[in-house]
Amino acid sequence: MTIKVKVLDRPIEQVSYVRATVKGLALTFKHMVDPHKVTVQYPDERWDISPRWRGTHRMLTTEDGKAKCVACGLCPTVCPANCIKLVPGEDEQGNRYPLVFEIDEFRCIFCGYCQEVCPEEAIHVGRHYENAEYSRDSFVYDLQRLTEQTHPVCEMWDPADQKGE
Amino acid sequence: MTAPLVNLTIEGRPVSVPAGTSILEAAKTAGVLIPHYCYHPGLPVAGVCRMCLVDVEKAPKLMPSCATAVAEGQVVHVHNDKSLEARKGVLELLLINHPLDCPICDQSGECELQDYTFQEGRQDSRYREPKRFNPVEDFGGDVLYVPNRCILCTRCVRFMDDVHKDAVLAVGERGDRAVITTAPDAGLTQPWASNVVDLCPVGALLSKDFLNKARAWELDRSASVCTGCSQGCNIVVETRDNAVVRLKPRANEAVNAFFMCDEGRLNYRWLNRQDRCAVPMANGAPAEWSTAIAAAVGALNGKRAHVVANASLSNEVFFLLKRIVGKTGGSVKFDVPQGAEAALPGVEDLALRADRVANATGAEAFGAARTEQPYAGVSAGDVLVLVDVEPSAVPSTALNAASAVIFIGTADPSGLSKLTAAFPIANVVESDGTLTNLRGRVQRFLQAKAAPGQARPAWFALADLLIALGEKADYATASDIFAALATSTPAFDGMSFDSLGLKGTPLAGSMAGAGR
Repeated sequence: MTIKVKVLDRPIEQVSYVRATVKGLALTFKHMVDPHKVTVQYPDERWDISPRWRGTHRMLTTEDGKAKCVACGLCPTVCPANCIKLVPGEDEQGNRYPLVFEIDEFRCIFCGYCQEVCPEEAIHVGRHYENAEYSRDSFVYDLQRLTEQTHPVCEMWDPADQKGE
Repeated sequence: MTAPLVNLTIEGRPVSVPAGTSILEAAKTAGVLIPHYCYHPGLPVAGVCRMCLVDVEKAPKLMPSCATAVAEGQVVHVHNDKSLEARKGVLELLLINHPLDCPICDQSGECELQDYTFQEGRQDSRYREPKRFNPVEDFGGDVLYVPNRCILCTRCVRFMDDVHKDAVLAVGERGDRAVITTAPDAGLTQPWASNVVDLCPVGALLSKDFLNKARAWELDRSASVCTGCSQGCNIVVETRDNAVVRLKPRANEAVNAFFMCDEGRLNYRWLNRQDRCAVPMANGAPAEWSTAIAAAVGALNGKRAHVVANASLSNEVFFLLKRIVGKTGGSVKFDVPQGAEAALPGVEDLALRADRVANATGAEAFGAARTEQPYAGVSAGDVLVLVDVEPSAVPSTALNAASAVIFIGTADPSGLSKLTAAFPIANVVESDGTLTNLRGRVQRFLQAKAAPGQARPAWFALADLLIALGEKADYATASDIFAALATSTPAFDGMSFDSLGLKGTPLAGSMAGAGR
């Protein structure tokens, strides 16, 4: 049994492509002169990200360039994703410091608890989202990498200034 | 002679304790912990910290509960406003010069100052002046003194004075300059001195060995018994990432009170050794467990077994060895390494014993023979069975005389000649069992970490060997074996893992704990 397809005979002004093409081009040309743009010309232009953005980590340093971390062990304790590896040690002056401090950024869930718990304001989550790497290994950030990064860091939620004003 | 009972009320709970008990101890029996620093049940009462002040009805002032004896009809309030206010004041004063260095302090997480401040201290300090500063001092031995953190409870001073009877510590200076000082040209090098680190309620006295190694909250803790000597001190094995990082004494009035010696405390690295026997071997090559056991049975077939065992192995192991030599003929022998004896003068019958093995009493109870020459008398054709001995310590004469060698142990046996079978076993912190100390007290030790590779508890391997030899030995756990040895050995009659608990029970007819 053959299928019969009913072909409607519509008026020409409804089936012509000319009207649709003109409409589409009109929109395109309107955007060329409209000042209200949505698309950002990345990477030449960038969005401003929130001061409370939580991206990949950064370790802050003292004036002499050493990591502020005293290896207290609170961040690996509080970390819900268990992504921080810390081995404490002692330097020549008898100060406690991290022998090994590694953050597995793949495992990290960017909750920011590490920054919140840090008594020395050493480890911070960063206001930063360009994290591409050539190999998976490079996503385990060691202490050197964490201290050398320069991107701005997250401003945590402040109960006194709840809307960040 | 027991003192008459006194009835009193603590926090609304009726308590009956013998006359002469302090309110603090009486409150413990009612399940009320009165915060305290200077008081320690193993030390004389000093009453210097003023932390344990409680409100006793009809008393004009708050009473220090550590130094106040209970009285009939007393009504004690531990957590009412008056005593909380007093403790808050004490804590504020203690924190005037205490640095805010919890992040780098080793005591953090097990610090009583931290705990009580968190529970009932002030939110912040009202003190605005700079804090007193004194540099860190090395007290010798394993002890480091951080004077800034010291709250001058004098527990360490009283331990060295009254328990160790070697008064090398004292409080020097006065007022806020007061610090703990050592006597001139003296340090904490005495054999029991490191107990001051455990006694210190804050992080002022630190173990150099444990310094910056781990945080208190990362550690897993298991009850165990020290195998350093025949005293059998009760200990807590603290592990992190499947490695033992610290041993601490566990209170047991009948054995070690609250203390352990430095030698036992620092002798834990062998528990983490990496050169372990981790796979079973048959005829010198790695094999399956079943193949290794079959090789051992083949070697033992019709031969006498000359068993040399480490006398720190458990009662369960010696019971199974007794059954094995009962089947094959032969004997179990052990030697006892000797060391200098070092008593703790303030505690009766507590010493680092000359016998540096944990279970010589238990081994002898199961027919093993103590001898200085355990390898003597290996006659030609005997099978030499080595149970947890160092392969390097086995004399070649014994190896040459033996027809075969079966090694059941923790160390790597690959250097042994004539090695027919090797069974990798778990060491003392990797298995369960019991040990009998020199006074005949049977005490349990619990597993603290996992054994490497295919290693099994020694009792497991020996029970498999017994079954392969045609005996009945269907034991599933160490407690099954203990139940079997308790029914067949009169001295252990009626004991079980449950009845031993974590403080142990003396053997029938022994003197364990009779002195105290």
